[in-house]
Amino acid sequence: MSLNKKIAAVLAIAVAAMLPTFWPNPYYIHLMVVIGIYAILLLGLDIVVGYVGEVSLGHAALFGVGSYAAGVLHAKLAVPFLLAVPASIAITGLFGALLALPALRVSGPYLAMVTLAFGTIIQILINEMDFLTNGPLGLSVRKPVWFGHHISGTDYYYVVLVALIATLFVIQRILKSHLGRAFEALHDSPIASDCMGVSVYGYKVYAFVLSAAIAGLAGALFTYSEEYISPNTYNFELTILFLLAVIMGGRKTRTGPVLGAIIVVMLPNVLSDIDLFREISIGIAVITAVYAVYAFVTRQRTARQLALPLAATIALAVSGFMMENITDHRLTIFGAMILFVVYYLPNGIMGFLRGIIVKFRPQWIHRHTLISEHGDMQHVWAVPDHPVTANGFLLEARNIVMQFGGLKALSEVNLQISKGTVHGLIGPNGSGKSTTMNVLTGIYKPTSGEIDFNGKLITGATPSSIAGEGIARTFQNVQLFGEMTAIENVLVGLHHTYRHNILDVVFHTPRCKREKHAAEVRAASLLRFVGLADLANEEARNLPYGKQRLLEIARALALNPSLLLLDEPAAGLTAPDIKELIAMIEKIRSHGITVILIEHHMDVVMSICDKVTVLDFGQKIAEGTPAEIQSNEKVIGAYLGGSAA
Amino acid sequence: MDVFIQLVVSGIALGMIYALIAFGYQLTFATSGTLNFGQGEALMLGALVGLTLVGHMSYWLMLPLVLVFGALQGVVVERVGVRPAIKTKSEFGWIMTTISLAIIFKNVAENIWGHDDIPFPSPLPTEPLQFFGIRVLPMEIMVVVGALAIMLAVEIFNRKSIYGKAVVATSNDRDAAGLMGINTSMVITFSYALSSMTAAFAGVLVAPLTLTGATMGVSLGLKAFAVAIIGGLNSGLGVIVGGLILGIAETTTGYYLSTGYKDVPGLVLLLLVLSIKPAGIFGKSVIKKV
Repeated sequence: MSLNKKIAAVLAIAVAAMLPTFWPNPYYIHLMVVIGIYAILLLGLDIVVGYVGEVSLGHAALFGVGSYAAGVLHAKLAVPFLLAVPASIAITGLFGALLALPALRVSGPYLAMVTLAFGTIIQILINEMDFLTNGPLGLSVRKPVWFGHHISGTDYYYVVLVALIATLFVIQRILKSHLGRAFEALHDSPIASDCMGVSVYGYKVYAFVLSAAIAGLAGALFTYSEEYISPNTYNFELTILFLLAVIMGGRKTRTGPVLGAIIVVMLPNVLSDIDLFREISIGIAVITAVYAVYAFVTRQRTARQLALPLAATIALAVSGFMMENITDHRLTIFGAMILFVVYYLPNGIMGFLRGIIVKFRPQWIHRHTLISEHGDMQHVWAVPDHPVTANGFLLEARNIVMQFGGLKALSEVNLQISKGTVHGLIGPNGSGKSTTMNVLTGIYKPTSGEIDFNGKLITGATPSSIAGEGIARTFQNVQLFGEMTAIENVLVGLHHTYRHNILDVVFHTPRCKREKHAAEVRAASLLRFVGLADLANEEARNLPYGKQRLLEIARALALNPSLLLLDEPAAGLTAPDIKELIAMIEKIRSHGITVILIEHHMDVVMSICDKVTVLDFGQKIAEGTPAEIQSNEKVIGAYLGGSAA
Repeated sequence: MDVFIQLVVSGIALGMIYALIAFGYQLTFATSGTLNFGQGEALMLGALVGLTLVGHMSYWLMLPLVLVFGALQGVVVERVGVRPAIKTKSEFGWIMTTISLAIIFKNVAENIWGHDDIPFPSPLPTEPLQFFGIRVLPMEIMVVVGALAIMLAVEIFNRKSIYGKAVVATSNDRDAAGLMGINTSMVITFSYALSSMTAAFAGVLVAPLTLTGATMGVSLGLKAFAVAIIGGLNSGLGVIVGGLILGIAETTTGYYLSTGYKDVPGLVLLLLVLSIKPAGIFGKSVIKKV
């Protein structure tokens, strides 16, 4: 965190701490407490919605689980506040895991519906299990008594404020660590993160459980704030309200959820006052009209683009005068706000403000943490996590069949890769080379056959565990984490070198600092090795195509592989670049890393491969030294057509 | 045993309603890869509009009008909620917009028809028929027949007519269909119209058996989604089997356990299927090409 940000944070905390003296009215203090509690939950929800990029409709239910965990512990077992809160964090985390383990096998709309189903089940259970929850009657709870002093509403404000600051701090540390990077990576390119040993499923579950635990904290605090809880609070409407708050405030920021919480808590108050609503809606309509005229005159937008928002805001203002009572239309207004935010404010209010600042003061905004390590040639190489124990063949694939419906992409392919060699894999387009890669790295499960790697059977293992065994790869269609910088891409590859846990991350232990520094030096060194040292802090999507391929090689080497699979590394490279690539592959081999190389540039294949396998229509048609392959009639036939025997 | 058979028979009628809504999910998912999270609300609106119309005309005259209304409602959902999100390729976008349209529809319905559930006059005699001691309501038979008929009609349309072929082509490969001169966004709008139409039809079928009200769609839509997942989002047979499984599971749980728990088995089944075979019992799993 920069000095300016630190000062801003301290100022914000000071202002928040003084608020009760400005607004001593208990009603306002209660509102601020609820804002703080919602903000805590939203910070957690943002991990799932913003970072992992999934829609959860189950967070109101998780909030309810947290509330009821604290409520039941207090009412039935008389557990004190300081024990009930951590307990409900743990219980809600457990419920989160119970949901996440089956649900996160799917994503997108499936996940949204499953979380909604979970929410419905929880609400039914709270209603029906009246021996525990008192059913629809609800539970009564009292605020704690500390040192003979009964905690008042104002005291509780400070309790929530401390919890909010702690949550902000913990989440900030986690998201800035390798864990946060893993969340972003799996959202950016799930396949690449799996192949870098960062299990998409595993880290999604991790993120969800974390988010659930935070919802548990918020829920427990809510119980003590309201002093009465009943099942109907935790309904679908609340879930929608939470999502609205996260996307309206701004995803992937710490300020966004706080802002979102303020908006959704204040909103019902605004909506209960029809006059205020009328004034606001007229204000919005006037601002939109002025902007529309300006945008139309300066030709930034066409009349068509402007017509809908203008009509909608005017309709809003007019409807304000048609309605006598606004609370009945509350949900319609929520719905309209979500539509508005999704279409016109996709990055939320904070994202919008950020966009404006970038326009005028680009140097104020840093989208990425700049990493200034330079790296050197000593730190490029490291011993594999699993030493090579196999004698002779490092990898042996036996009778691999890969069938897509009726099409046999690979039929009975045998492959033996000798330790320490560069093994070429060539063949015409559609011959099954990339399919072989995908089978070897676990992206496809072969229909039959088995693969032995380093003395272990790896058939059917997940891509991330195969990566963990020491097989790294690049992709034919580049699969970089586009929104991350080059060095961050390599750091994802180095994820396996971070052995410290979440507590080390939160407390910045020496071990955490040591491993972080080592990884950064290593990443910079790897970038230097592939010749991208100057572009370390550039976003990967902005690199030219050829450089992106080199970056993929650096990222793959970060895995400390004993086997490296290169899928057409020379595509998009210029002739001098190709020479460097050949030198690079030779260096990789000289450091004991076995290489499988798919390539269409025959000069590359013939100059560095020790052995070459040729595939055609999913079958192995030839194998041998480059010289043998060049004179093989079947191979010539496959490439040029003609009368191959 | 008789009680059990009775429960199964009632479960079948309920299950066919779920199957019909789930069928609507499949229609839009096939063409556009999107789902209308407000499918239950489309059903609710169909039922309530039907209720208003039935005050002025016979049930049978009301049916085609409700179908037209349902189709128009589907067009609105597609134009406002789905099309802009498909353009920006934002999955998050269409999930959120169809949810927000759903809550808007529900809220508007509450303001027009009120918060209370209203009985829907049955067009058929309400006296149950007796078959070997099992009582069946004539309306239950009509639900099964009606649901099967409309699904069959849509299937025949897709297989036999040239417009149906455009729908099938778009389902198989939207980009390729577009290159062959098919107006794919039109096909997607059409699939939404068709999907909401079947939901509205399901609404007027189920309404005489239950009650109508603004909140009737929420749990029906969710459970029908469970059916679509259990059966598989790309299997026509799957939704019927899935619907029957869920319908029967529900009536039996309601009787043997407690009516409060009747929504639970479907949702638990949903979680189970997802953790064992996410593509559904009858669905084909699609291997993502890299």
